[in-house]
Amino acid sequence: MITKRLAVAVALAVIILAVAAGLRYAEGAGTLGAEGARRIMQVLVGLSLAAYANFMPKQIGRARRSPEAESRTQAALRVGGWSMTLAGLAYAGLWALAPLSVADVASMIVVGAALAVTFGYAIWSFTVCRSAPVGG
Amino acid sequence: MNKVFKALADPTRRKVLQLLRRRPMTAGELSEHFAVSKPTMSAHFSVLREADLIDAGKRGTTITYRLKLSVLEDALLGFSQAFGIGVGNAGPTVDTAPEITKGRTS
Repeated sequence: MITKRLAVAVALAVIILAVAAGLRYAEGAGTLGAEGARRIMQVLVGLSLAAYANFMPKQIGRARRSPEAESRTQAALRVGGWSMTLAGLAYAGLWALAPLSVADVASMIVVGAALAVTFGYAIWSFTVCRSAPVGG
Repeated sequence: MNKVFKALADPTRRKVLQLLRRRPMTAGELSEHFAVSKPTMSAHFSVLREADLIDAGKRGTTITYRLKLSVLEDALLGFSQAFGIGVGNAGPTVDTAPEITKGRTS
């Protein structure tokens, strides 16, 4: 399982590097402008984020002791997965369609907000779970 | 992906996934929500496990099922629920389960 995940990560890294090299070449050859190359790269980054976050709720890990901890973990993974996937798609969409000045700032805000939601919910779940009575 | 579509096509299996959204449940707890036999429920669990939509953990003689949906699978579940795909098959009579139970149990 770890080998498979590692293989996917390496394959994704190779694809990103290959696309970056291809875009650099196209830019040098004059077939693509600097703006176009930047947009394509950022769209790829956004889609990679969405693809990775898509599998986040599947990483359930070992079984927890209490049902409360199990449901909280499940909910946190679900919220994190959804927010990061949507953020990745929004990031890609912004870089594909919005003016550069807007995409530059808005894409960061979108991903930042998704991270805040993910970590905020996880921390809140952890706090609630710890304060819950044992066995609840 | 074919296995995922097959698993989500059945309303009973979708109900199982919805129940597991609330919290992990044992096979017995899940079966209580359906008026079908245990082997039939077992077959449904098998289909869901093969599609990697649920995880089964055994503690003693109890099997506890946990939800294992990716965001895309979660969205597909929502869509099939919203559009009522296979709703006519809901209830105690499950069309595919008897065929499945012939070959395996879990």
